[in-house]
Amino acid sequence: MNLPIPYPDPMPLPAPLWLLRTLLLLTFFLHVLFMNSLLGGTAVAMVCAMRRKSSPFSARLADDLGRLLPSILAFTITLGVAPLLFLQVMYGQLLYTSSILLGVPWLAIIGIVILAYYGVYYFSLKGREANERSSAVLVLVLMLLASVAFIYSNNFTLMLAPERWMNLYRSHASGWNLNWSEPSLPPRYLHFVLGALAVSGLGLVVLALRQREDAYRKWLTEQGFFLFTFTTLINFAVGFWFLLKLPGSVQLDFVGGNGFATVLLGIGVLLPLAAVAHLIMAKSSRSPRRALVIGVSCGLLTVAAMIVMRDVLRNLQLAPNFSPGQLPVAPQWSIIALFAVLFLAGLATVYYMLRKVASAARMQIAANVRES
Amino acid sequence: MNYPIWQLGFPGGLLIAAVAVLHVFISHFAVGGGAYLVLTERRAYARNDAELLGYVRHHSKFFALLTVVLGAVTGVGIWFTIGLVSPEATSSLIHTFVWGWAIEWVFFFVEIAAALIYAYQWDTLDRQTHLVIGWIYFVAAWASLVIINGIITYMLTPGRWLETQKFWDGFFNPTYWPSLCIRSAMAVGLAGLFGLVTAMWEPSALRARVVRWSGWWLALGIVSLLPLSRWYFHNLPSYSRAYFNGAFDAPYIAVRHSLRGAAVCAGLALLLTLFFALLRPKTMNPVVVAVLLIAGFGVMGSGEYLREFSRYPYVINSYIYANDVRVGQMEAIAAHGVSSTSPWVEDSSGHPLAYGRQIFVVECGSCHSVDGYRAMRKFARGWDPKFGSEILLHLPVVRETMPPFAGDAHDRTALGSYLASLAPATSSGASEKESGRQVFAIHCALCHSVGGARRPLDLKGTGTDAIAAMLGTLSDMNPDMPPFTGTDTEGHALAVYLNNPGQ
Repeated sequence: MNLPIPYPDPMPLPAPLWLLRTLLLLTFFLHVLFMNSLLGGTAVAMVCAMRRKSSPFSARLADDLGRLLPSILAFTITLGVAPLLFLQVMYGQLLYTSSILLGVPWLAIIGIVILAYYGVYYFSLKGREANERSSAVLVLVLMLLASVAFIYSNNFTLMLAPERWMNLYRSHASGWNLNWSEPSLPPRYLHFVLGALAVSGLGLVVLALRQREDAYRKWLTEQGFFLFTFTTLINFAVGFWFLLKLPGSVQLDFVGGNGFATVLLGIGVLLPLAAVAHLIMAKSSRSPRRALVIGVSCGLLTVAAMIVMRDVLRNLQLAPNFSPGQLPVAPQWSIIALFAVLFLAGLATVYYMLRKVASAARMQIAANVRES
Repeated sequence: MNYPIWQLGFPGGLLIAAVAVLHVFISHFAVGGGAYLVLTERRAYARNDAELLGYVRHHSKFFALLTVVLGAVTGVGIWFTIGLVSPEATSSLIHTFVWGWAIEWVFFFVEIAAALIYAYQWDTLDRQTHLVIGWIYFVAAWASLVIINGIITYMLTPGRWLETQKFWDGFFNPTYWPSLCIRSAMAVGLAGLFGLVTAMWEPSALRARVVRWSGWWLALGIVSLLPLSRWYFHNLPSYSRAYFNGAFDAPYIAVRHSLRGAAVCAGLALLLTLFFALLRPKTMNPVVVAVLLIAGFGVMGSGEYLREFSRYPYVINSYIYANDVRVGQMEAIAAHGVSSTSPWVEDSSGHPLAYGRQIFVVECGSCHSVDGYRAMRKFARGWDPKFGSEILLHLPVVRETMPPFAGDAHDRTALGSYLASLAPATSSGASEKESGRQVFAIHCALCHSVGGARRPLDLKGTGTDAIAAMLGTLSDMNPDMPPFTGTDTEGHALAVYLNNPGQ
């Protein structure tokens, strides 16, 4: 079958493939951590805001999350720009095509994100005055964010399915399409959204680790543990469903056909189990900190493994039609070096600023304590 | 041609313009506003002015809410939009400048972090550190302009890049420096303009102080625009300069309106600033600020429009045409035809109009619609299929802003027939001279005028027979002219009209 796949850009890749792929996966990992914290954090803040009157800890967590969410959203967007850039370099001809076919929902993301952003700010700036309206705003924000995730799932599955493009183009060249006929879309979307809730559960554990007050810390740890464990256990079933809905040859690759894919799947199953086990151990331990840190680390490593697995899945699905390895390469080393230097300088600058804020906040707390 | 076309019902360029103008308006404020915040904060410390400091705190929150949210997300929005409307050009830009964008992303990251810390840590940080964070913000924001400016100006003046295809040759191109200075001036002006906006929420005594201080920023921005624009203009490609030089003769109404609009908006803004901000700051009020905002938006929008227009017929000068067809691909498309080149066009040889419509979508749709913006039903009124097919060979002569037609004779015939089908000629009982005027409007007026400035035709008194004879040799007289495709009767009517156009 002659598929309508555009030819790749005639210019060579401006960096070796390994470097582009590393940067894609690294920046995507960071993006996912923030994106998951945003989606899950909004859900948690919404529930806590609704229970504000009956539970003082819920009220406190809603306030804490309200302060954090605008910054988390800012960095979700900022950290999303880089992987989208590197993805376009390697897979541009596929991504542009699927984006055009989904033109309306794809561009709607911009408007939806702006609305969600102002919604989050509304909740944040209302602070302790939060009322029913601000909880309702969070419900809306959660729906907006979930719809953005759904549109992304549509586009990133459609870019892998050129056999579906022509039909979509003929039926709605205006871009009013979604990738409904993709069998793996529902489990994939659900798997990633549940994953986001699980990661935000880990985020609550991290928040707990930074708390001084025993009762609140314990409560936060409980909530984080519950959220992570519950969603992760469901996600095993959803992940299995996802696997079943993949094309047959790709399924086989993940269960022995391709060594790397199979090992990754194994790691992806074992790591969250290890995370759950450590979080359970922490519950019965007198000094749970170490077990909690290991549990959270296992959870983060799961995210990393899932991201690599998602990349492997993409390349396996594309393999019959395209591989970035086919593209010519002419690295722009001098500019890559400049980027590397500025990247490190940028990291150092952000570190400097955060350290200044942290030490100023510590001094302020100390001063408050002295005063009281 | 390589990609499917997003068929919105109106040219995608309009969508890019809408998102882009909103973004540049806010993003330039995001750059200049950084310097404005720090310098105003410093001024407040130096004068021990607690009220002014209170104002900067309020302004910083407004600044963060506007720039970090709407500014940043619409920036991503431009990227999304150009990928949907001009994927070929976007892909080319990404491949040429991916590391430029990666560097810009680093600055963007630092900028966002610094903006949030600056706006929300007033009570935590000491004065000195807070100022340092403000400077970090400004440097990162301006640095991201320094980067993106190289990519935007490259599209209009790629300079030596066309021969070398080297990053720095494209980046530091002929309009790089004047454009950077213009954009920096705009940033300074917009910092002042938004300073006026938030000043309106302050009590009156403080308001006058902030108004005058902001007025200086705005005035400085506007005043520097004129010499900087001249410098920019002199570095434009000669074909772009011709659009401006001929703006009042050529049929580029939009250029004319944009130039006038920019001049009127800038002049009005300067007068209002001088009077209400610098001379009588106590009289500044929300209505004047609203007018200034509209005028500022007008200057910015006109400037961006003119920059985009100067680039026609290209999206990347001499490399990719405005309809996303690569210059280097033209020969292959002419040899093999559109249906063999584009995977998205079906060769419906049995239905020439349907095939012609597909070619219209692929080649014309980025700038023209059938009935809306730059409507072809209006331009092609009265065309016959032969004329439609012939005129397609001369597009860059019809309008210097149009890319040449890409395709073989079969494609050209199909598109010509489709265009001719949009508004076929209707017979009327007009006089011969009036018929001649209509024939002129259809066959000649795309390029010529009678008694006008654009390629005037003055054949008055030449004689009807002599003019009618000329119509048979147009292409011999000038290869840029298509042959006359009308009937003998139409030719005679045209000759009668040209021989004595009258009033």
